[in-house]
Amino acid sequence: MTSRALLASFAFVAATGSALAADPIRIGVPVGLSGANSVVAPSVVQSAELAVEEINAKGGILGRPLALDVADDGSGAAGAQKAFDALIFQKKVNVLISMETSAARNAGLPIVARGKTPYIYTSFYEGKSCSPYLYVNAWVPEQQVPPIVDYFNKEKKAKQYFLIGSDYAFGRGMLSFTKAYIEKTGGKVVGEEYLPMDGSDWTSIISKLKASGADAIVTSTAGGAPNVTLTKQLRAAGVSLPYGNLAVDEGTAKSMGADAADIYISASYVTGIDSAANKKFLAAMGKKFGADLKTPNDLSVPEYEGVYAYKAAVEKAGGTDPQKVLAALSEVSVDGPRGTIKMDKQRHAPLTMYLGQVQADGGVKVIQSFPNVDPGAQCPPKS
Amino acid sequence: MPEARQLGQAAAPIGIPTRLWMAALALLIVGGILAAPLLLDTYIVNILIRAFFVAIAAVTVDIVWGYCGTLTFGQSAFFGIGVYALAIIFTEYGFGPWQALLAIATAIVAAAVVAALTGWLSFYPGSSPLYASIVSLVVPIVLVQLVYSGGTFTGSSSGLVGFESFDLELENWFRLAGLSLAAVAVVTLIIMRSDTGRLLKALRDNDERCTYLGVDTSRYRIVVLVLTAIVASLAGFGYAAFGGVAAPENASFTFGTRLIIMVALGGRGTVIGAIVGALSIEVSSAYLSGSLPYVWELIIGIALIAVILAFPDGLVGVIKQLTHGIQPFERGPITRLRPIETAAVKSTDSEIALELKEVGKHFGSLSVLDGVEFVAKRSELLSLVGPNGAGKTTLIRCLSDGRERSTGFVAIAGHAIDRQPPNRIVEFGLGRKFQAASIFEALTVAECLRVARTHRARPSLVSTSIDLELPPAAISVVERSGLLERLDEEARRLSHGLKQALELAMVLSLEPEVLLLDEPTAGLTRAERQAFADILTSLASRDRLCILLVEHDLDFVREISSRIIVLHQGRIALDGSVDAVANSALVREIYTGQQAGDDGKES
Amino acid sequence: MLIVALDAVTTAALLLIISSGLLIVFGVMKIINFAHAAFITVGAYAALVGARLGLPWVLLVPVAFAAGAACGALAEVTIVRRLYQRPLDAILATWGLGIVIGQIVTLIFGREVQFVQAPITGTIELLGVDYSAYRIAMIGAALVVALVFSALLNGTRLGLSTRAVIMNEMLAQGLGVDSARVRLVTFAIGSGLAALSGALITPLSSVDPNMGVPWLISAFMLVMVSGGSLLTLAVSSLVLGGLQVIVSTFVNPILGGLTIAICAAVVLRVRPEGFARA
Repeated sequence: MTSRALLASFAFVAATGSALAADPIRIGVPVGLSGANSVVAPSVVQSAELAVEEINAKGGILGRPLALDVADDGSGAAGAQKAFDALIFQKKVNVLISMETSAARNAGLPIVARGKTPYIYTSFYEGKSCSPYLYVNAWVPEQQVPPIVDYFNKEKKAKQYFLIGSDYAFGRGMLSFTKAYIEKTGGKVVGEEYLPMDGSDWTSIISKLKASGADAIVTSTAGGAPNVTLTKQLRAAGVSLPYGNLAVDEGTAKSMGADAADIYISASYVTGIDSAANKKFLAAMGKKFGADLKTPNDLSVPEYEGVYAYKAAVEKAGGTDPQKVLAALSEVSVDGPRGTIKMDKQRHAPLTMYLGQVQADGGVKVIQSFPNVDPGAQCPPKS
Repeated sequence: MPEARQLGQAAAPIGIPTRLWMAALALLIVGGILAAPLLLDTYIVNILIRAFFVAIAAVTVDIVWGYCGTLTFGQSAFFGIGVYALAIIFTEYGFGPWQALLAIATAIVAAAVVAALTGWLSFYPGSSPLYASIVSLVVPIVLVQLVYSGGTFTGSSSGLVGFESFDLELENWFRLAGLSLAAVAVVTLIIMRSDTGRLLKALRDNDERCTYLGVDTSRYRIVVLVLTAIVASLAGFGYAAFGGVAAPENASFTFGTRLIIMVALGGRGTVIGAIVGALSIEVSSAYLSGSLPYVWELIIGIALIAVILAFPDGLVGVIKQLTHGIQPFERGPITRLRPIETAAVKSTDSEIALELKEVGKHFGSLSVLDGVEFVAKRSELLSLVGPNGAGKTTLIRCLSDGRERSTGFVAIAGHAIDRQPPNRIVEFGLGRKFQAASIFEALTVAECLRVARTHRARPSLVSTSIDLELPPAAISVVERSGLLERLDEEARRLSHGLKQALELAMVLSLEPEVLLLDEPTAGLTRAERQAFADILTSLASRDRLCILLVEHDLDFVREISSRIIVLHQGRIALDGSVDAVANSALVREIYTGQQAGDDGKES
Repeated sequence: MLIVALDAVTTAALLLIISSGLLIVFGVMKIINFAHAAFITVGAYAALVGARLGLPWVLLVPVAFAAGAACGALAEVTIVRRLYQRPLDAILATWGLGIVIGQIVTLIFGREVQFVQAPITGTIELLGVDYSAYRIAMIGAALVVALVFSALLNGTRLGLSTRAVIMNEMLAQGLGVDSARVRLVTFAIGSGLAALSGALITPLSSVDPNMGVPWLISAFMLVMVSGGSLLTLAVSSLVLGGLQVIVSTFVNPILGGLTIAICAAVVLRVRPEGFARA
C-alpha cells in the first residue's frame, strides 16, 4: 500500500564493550523496514546487531566501538534518498552496509559518491552495478543460475525450458542471463513470460506453459506474494515439472506449505550448511534473540559478514579513511557462515553456492555444493 | 452587511495597507528562502529541497481537486513524466545545454499530451466526477507498468541513476526549489482569485449550471488539467535534476494518493494548505516514520479519516476558524453594476424563435414524448401544462440538450440544435432555468452573475473586475427582486425566492432569445409570485423574449400566458389561446384530478 | 483454444466474486468503496484465523463473511454514514480506512505471507484437458454468489427496500423505507462479500496485508462499466475478463493486466452508460 519514504531516527547503539570510550565508528544500515523488503529486513538488522555486539565485546575496531544506525529506505528510491541523506549527512556514518532493493541501491549511489562513503551491498541482485564506492558480497546471476540449470540438464535430462518472471529489473535480468546460459549449454527456451510486479493472476502464462511442451521451469519473480501466487497456481494447475526458483528463500518456501515441495533453489546460504562457523553463528543468533529470532537467510547472513569485512578492511587500512578502506576491502577476506569470502573480483566475491531442494515441511535439503563460483566480469575496467 | 448602493456608485479600491502587508510578506518569504540554507543543517536542507518540489505537485492537486472539484490520483503520473524525461534524455544523450532544453521540452510536451488524452477520457458533457477520479487512477498505473517493461531504456524497477545532471551547490538548489514553489503559489493564488478562478470554483460548485450558461466545462477542465500537468511535470524535472535518480515510485498512484493526503490534511482549495500539508508531511515523515514505520502509516490513515470527517478544510481551515475573530474579515472589492446595450438588433414579431417538428423521446418501447410539434415566436409567453408524467420536463430537456431526444427536429432562433451539447445550444440563444434554483452556492451574487457573462466577457486571468456589466433585462430582475443590495453576499445565504430570482437574472445575462422556465413559482410566496409574473410579462413584451413556461398553477398561467399548450401522455393534446385552452373540458378534467391519471414516467 | 475458453470463464467467475461486494455498495450508495481491497484482506485473514482454530474449510467462508460484515458495519456507522452528501470525500475516507485496516492487519500478523491450506487441490479432466479443479470450482462459487445475491435482492423485504433506494431514494423514503438502515445493511453485506471473496481466493493468492490491492482497479472498472446491476456485472466480467485472457495469451500478460482498466475507461468514454441497457 502506501509505501512511505522514511528514515529511521532510532540509533541502536551497542554499548556492550565496557572500556570503549573512544569515538565510535558508525555503521549505517539503510534497509526496507517498510515496503517490499519489510519481511526480510528484520533478519538483516538482527545480523548486523549480532556482528556489532560480537566485535564490541572483543574491543571494537582499533580500539573504537561500533555504533549502528538503522534507517528505513521504504524499499524504494524515494525512501532510499532520504535514508542515505540522513545516514551520510546527518549521522555522518563511516560506512554503509546493507541489503536493499536495486531501486534503493541505485538511488543511494549518487549520495554515497557525494558523501565519499564506502558502501558494502549485501543483497544478491541482477549484477553489473559499479561504483568506486560499492562492494558486493552476495551473488549475481553468473553464480546462482548455473547450479540449477546444470542440475536440470544432467539429472533431469531437461532440454526445453520455460521461464516465468515478474516484470522488473531483477526478474528480467536473471531470466535473460538464464536464457543465455541454457542456450549455451545446449538447451532451448520454449517460452519466456512476465507479469507485472504486483500481478497475481498467472492463469494465461500457466496455460501457455502447459501447451509449450517444456520439461523444466525456471522462475524469477518478485519475492513474497508473486512467488506464492505463482507456485500455488502452478500446483493447482497440476504442473509437476522440475521447478527451479531463483527468488525464493527458506522463509517464503515455508509459508507456501506443501505447494513448495520439490522446488529447487540455489543460494550462497542455507541454514543447513554443515560447518563449524555456521553452527556457531546460528547458536549465537539463537542466544541473542531467542524467541524473536528471524530465521537467518541468504539476504541476512551477508550483512553479518559485511560488518566483519569492514572491520578487517579498517584494520588493514589502519583507520577509517574512506579511500584506504575502499582499497583494503578487495584485499581482506572473512571467514563466516558462508565460508571464506573475499571481494576481489571487480568488487564482487567468488562464492560457494548450494543447490537445495525444498522439502514437504518447508525445510531445504542441500543436494550439491559448488565451491568458489566466480562472479564473472561484473565491472570490467574501462579501457 | 454591505451597504445598499445605487448603480454606478464608485467602489472602494483595495486598501493600501493590504498591499503593503502583502509586499512585506512576499519580501519576508523570499528573504527567508534565500537565507535559510545558510542557517539550516545539510540534512534538513536536503529534505526541504525535495519537499519543495513535492509541494509544487501538491499545489497542482489542489488546483484540480480543491478548486475545480475533480479528485485526482493522477498528478503523480505527470510528476513522473518530468522525472523520466530528464533521466532518459540525460542517460541516452549525456548532459549539456541542448540536452537540457530537449529534456524540458519533452517534459512539457509529454505531460501536455498525456494530460490532454486523460482529459478527453475524463471530461465530456455528462461525465461524472467519480468516473474522472477512476480514470485518474488508471493513468499512473499504466505509466508505471510501461516504465517497468521498458528495460534499460527506463531502468525498469531499479530506476535510472548515474546520469550527469545540473551541478548546483546545495544552497542554490534550495533557493531554486524554494523560489519555484513560491512563484507557483503566487501565480496560482492570483489566478484563483481572479475572475477565471471564480469560474473554476463555479465549475466545482455546479457543473451543470455552468454548461447551461454556455460554458464549455469540459474544455475548461481539460485546459486546467493540461496546465497543471505541465507544472507537475516541471516539478518532477527539478526533483530528478536534484536527486539524480528516476524511480517508478515517482510516478506511482501511491505517490498520487500521498499528494491528495497532503492537500486534504493541509486544507484544500487554499494553495497554502497544500504547501503546509506537503512540507509538514515530508519533513515529519523524515524524522518520525523511521522509528515507527507501520505506526506512522496508521497515523496518516487515521489523520486522513479524522480530517475528512471533522475538518474538511484541513489544518488551514482550523486555523482560519480559530483566528476568525481576531483577523479583520477581508472583504473583496465592492461590485459596481453597469448596464450594457444589447448588441443584437432585435427583429420583427414574425420571427420564429422556437420550432419543433416530430420530437419524440423513447426508452425502448416506452414513449415519453411522441410527435410533439409547435412553433413559437418572439414575445410569446407560452405555457406548457399537463399532469405529472405528461413529459413536460422531458420536453424542456429535449429542447436544451441535443442528445436527449430520440427523434425529430428542434431549432432555436433559426439554428437546428442537432446533437449539440447544452453549452452550444445556449450560444444559439437559449436560456434554461431549472426547477430547483441552480446557482453557485459558494460564490457571491455578483460572482454568480459574472460567471453567467463568461460567454461575452472572457474572464481575466489576473484580476477581479469591479464592474459587473449586465443586459437591461438582468438588471431589472436584480433591481426589482432586491438582489442589488446583496451583490457581494454569498449566494448560499439567500432566501429561496431570491435564489430563484438570482438564477433568472443569471439566465437573462445570457441575453437569450428563448427562455425555458421549469415551475419557477414553486415554493414562492404570494408576493414573490406576483413579482415574478410582472417580470415575465415585461420580459415578453418589452425585451421581446419567447418564454416557454412549465407550470402547475393554472391561475398563474391564465394570468400571464399568451398561449397554452397541453401535454398529455407525451403528445400535444391542445394548443391555443388562453381562453380556449383554460376552459376546455380536458384541462378541467386534468386539473380537477379526474380520470387523467399518472400514466408515464417523467424521468 | 478450450484452455483459453476455460481461462476466460474462470477468470470472469473470480472477477465477479471479487467485485460483487463493490457493486452492491456502488448501486445503493453511489460511492466507490476504496476500502474494498482491505475487506478482501480481512476475509483472507479471518479464514486464516479460522483455519488455525481448526475450523473445517466450509465454515471458513461464512466466518470470513461475518468478519467482513462486522468491520463494514462498524465503518458505516463511524465513517461512511457521515459522507453520503460528499461522495468524493467518501472515496478518500474509505481510502484512509483501507490504510488503517491494512496497517492493523500488519501490526497483528506481520508483513509476511501466511499459509492457508487449500480445500481442493490438483486438477480434473474436462473435455480432454487437465484443468485446475479449484478454478472450476470458482465457476460454481460465482453462480452461488450471484444466485444468493439476486435471491436476497428479489426475494426479501430488505431486498425490496434496497431496490427501492437504488431506483429513487426520495421516493423510497416517502414510502417509509428506512434508507439509513438499508445503507448500513448494504455496506455490511458489501464488505462481507468482499471478505468472502478474500477467503475464496486464498488457494490461488498469497495471503499478505496487501493481497487485495492488485484486484482493486479491475473491480472498480468492472463496477463502473456495469452501471450497477448484477447481470451487467456478469456480462462485463465475462467480456472484459475474457479480453484480458485473450490479450494475455496472444499478446502479452503485461498488456493483459491493463486490459480491463483501459478498455473500461474507453467504453465509458464512448458509452457513458457502460454495458447497462445494452
